[in-house]
Amino acid sequence: MNTRDAKEILLLYRGPVDDSDPQFHAALDYAKSDPELGQWLREHTKCYDTIRAKLRGIEPRAGLSEKIVRRRPIPFPRDWSRIGQLAAAILISASVTGLLMKWSERRQSSVVSAQEIVVTGEVLDMTCYIASNLSGPNHAECAKVCIRNGEPAGIKTQDGKVYLLTGEPGQSINAKLAEYAAQVVTIKGRQSVRDGFVQLQIEEIRKL
Amino acid sequence: MSADLQFENLVKLYYSDLYRFGLSLTGSEADAADLTQETFYIWANKGYQLQNAASVKGWLFTTLHREFLKTCRRRNRFSNESIDERMEDLPNVPAGCAERSDSQTLLRILGEIAEDFRAPLVLYYMEDLSYKEIADILALPLGTVQSRIARAKIQLLRRLSETNLPVEQTK
Repeated sequence: MNTRDAKEILLLYRGPVDDSDPQFHAALDYAKSDPELGQWLREHTKCYDTIRAKLRGIEPRAGLSEKIVRRRPIPFPRDWSRIGQLAAAILISASVTGLLMKWSERRQSSVVSAQEIVVTGEVLDMTCYIASNLSGPNHAECAKVCIRNGEPAGIKTQDGKVYLLTGEPGQSINAKLAEYAAQVVTIKGRQSVRDGFVQLQIEEIRKL
Repeated sequence: MSADLQFENLVKLYYSDLYRFGLSLTGSEADAADLTQETFYIWANKGYQLQNAASVKGWLFTTLHREFLKTCRRRNRFSNESIDERMEDLPNVPAGCAERSDSQTLLRILGEIAEDFRAPLVLYYMEDLSYKEIADILALPLGTVQSRIARAKIQLLRRLSETNLPVEQTK
């Protein structure tokens, strides 16, 4: 290193703030052995201190800090990771809800069973029963006429459960059921359930 | 500590430094005040993104400098000139020359230095930042920052020596 090299390096040297910067160490050591360079360095750092002090002596206009604080906007923190988590949670929740609804729908609309059962109860004219709650011996004649004329027939068991009665697909069973209108019978048949409706496809009827 | 109080403390801590930086860059008190306000406005909106509390100062200076560059682009104020100073050009600044120059003269001379060179030089003089920190603030390579400071400093010292103000006119 020569004086010119050291000067070039020390041009950036500011004093104590740069003492820990290793790029200046060799040049500073060199300046200790070169009185002329040492003198230049002292004037140089003094000049730095003066310029720094003058620039730092500039004061902001009065009231600036208060103005900044007063005009502070209301922050709306957009934490994208949080927003992403929230969006994912909503998506998962919506998907699960959708799947549950779909599953529930399918469950409700599916045929629960097509099993053979035997039930005992009163043969009903479903039209009058559902619309006007008419049944029993006092309604026997009406029920007979209605069933014979093709109105749907049903059976109400002792526990209050009502089944829609049908024959084989494509075959009306109304003429036969009309004979048992408002009477208590035992029916063996195949039970099917869809959307809450229970149907009993008759295989055998026995009057009690 | 509430967010309001934190913001107020942050303003108290850094608004003077930021204002001086802004003033040295723009040469205008009004523009410096606007830049300072804008910087804290951005902080209020985005500062929470900063993970490392220790880098708040650097973040604020970086933001102010970016806003200054945006203003320059809008006003088409970029000079794109470089400084062709060499070590051989380093003037011997007469003792007391800096003392005789007031802050307004220094600001005027700083304003004559190209924008690209002015920002690192101002940070070099005003803040106790390492060269690495200055480079981070200005998003420049360390070598570029040191080179710009050196050349801008030579230009500043030469202008100062040329100013040669009579003692009675100085502060």
